[in-house]
Amino acid sequence: MSTLAVATLHQALRKSFATLESNQKVWKSVLAECSPLMVSLGNLAEQSRALSNVQISNTPLRGFPDLEERLRFKLLEATDIVLGKLNEKMSSLQSARDAISNQVASILHLYEQNAHSLDLLAVTERSTTTPSVADMLEWLQDAERHYRQQFLRRKTLLQTLRADDLSLLESAPQRWNSLESPSAEDHITDTLCKVAFFVESQ
Amino acid sequence: MEGDISVTSANRKSAAITGSARKIKDNAADWHNMMLRWDRLNEDGFMAVESIINMRRAQSDQLLLNNSSSPPPSSSSQHVGGASELQDKCLKLQEIVDKMAAVVTKMARLMTSQRGVEDLEAFQFGAEGRKTPLFHSWSTSEFGEISQVLLDSFRQELLLKQTILQEVAHTVTSDLCMVFLSCWLHQPFIPTQSRLRLEALLLETGHRPL
Repeated sequence: MSTLAVATLHQALRKSFATLESNQKVWKSVLAECSPLMVSLGNLAEQSRALSNVQISNTPLRGFPDLEERLRFKLLEATDIVLGKLNEKMSSLQSARDAISNQVASILHLYEQNAHSLDLLAVTERSTTTPSVADMLEWLQDAERHYRQQFLRRKTLLQTLRADDLSLLESAPQRWNSLESPSAEDHITDTLCKVAFFVESQ
Repeated sequence: MEGDISVTSANRKSAAITGSARKIKDNAADWHNMMLRWDRLNEDGFMAVESIINMRRAQSDQLLLNNSSSPPPSSSSQHVGGASELQDKCLKLQEIVDKMAAVVTKMARLMTSQRGVEDLEAFQFGAEGRKTPLFHSWSTSEFGEISQVLLDSFRQELLLKQTILQEVAHTVTSDLCMVFLSCWLHQPFIPTQSRLRLEALLLETGHRPL
């Protein structure tokens, strides 16, 4: 009984790691696309700040009608566009997170269903090429938690941003970058290495 | 935006457009090409303005350094070197602004040509104008209105750029420099709808498929 349950779980685990690997790639590339957008956001905030600091009537630009409002409008428009693009990226990140979460949820459910026929030995047994079921489930849960938290933090940050709130925009790029968690990402990459043989074997 | 629209002989023969319609269609192509040229000049100009600002900043930093300690002779020649580089960049910017002025002059000619078409129509058809539109739906005066709006925008923007040209090399406050850069890049007097208006013009005159 145990071996059948383990085999079922193994099959599901392979699928889960495949999902994790492909979505990790998606996550990384989408996040990389966000970097230049964040830089733009910072630039636009800097320009808006400079405009606020300048008294146009004291400058050679005083002859131009409504220059300040017009320029501010253009800056707001450009900021809006960048925020829109960032929101699109968030949708892609959400899809990746959902794919991983759904996969992990379904494998945990599978585990629950088979728990009665799995003893401690079956779950902790491991070989050189096959980690234990317990370990693999734990790694999947760790990965799922990482992406869930990352998404939540980044989404929250973006949701606080408004095109006309200058100080939040100015600090946004630095706060975005501080959400980086290289150790967690490395941990996931390590996991995928550890299960590489297992995934390839059938 | 796509590349230049060239009025080839194939275009000329198509649909046997003649007279006023031909003129208006050619004008629309010219408007498109002018705006493309303006965009390219704007990009070049932006880089020049940025260089000038950076050079000025480097110069004034150098000045601060020189003032704070007794200047060795070598630094003064460095300073002179900086000045001629700066002048080169300013000349480059002048060239670009002059080319932009030429673009606006061409736009003004397009405007005049459009008015000519309208005057001819008034002569031929009286005050109410022709009964059926030249293309899809626009009355002839609508072309003139669009041209006027675009021309006014570009004229005002050119004035702004000329002011920036005059002032940027003499400006020390970094905030004002940043505002100059913003103005150059974002072009506050050319509304975003200008692109849409141009697209509408190209659609109406058949340069873009409906």
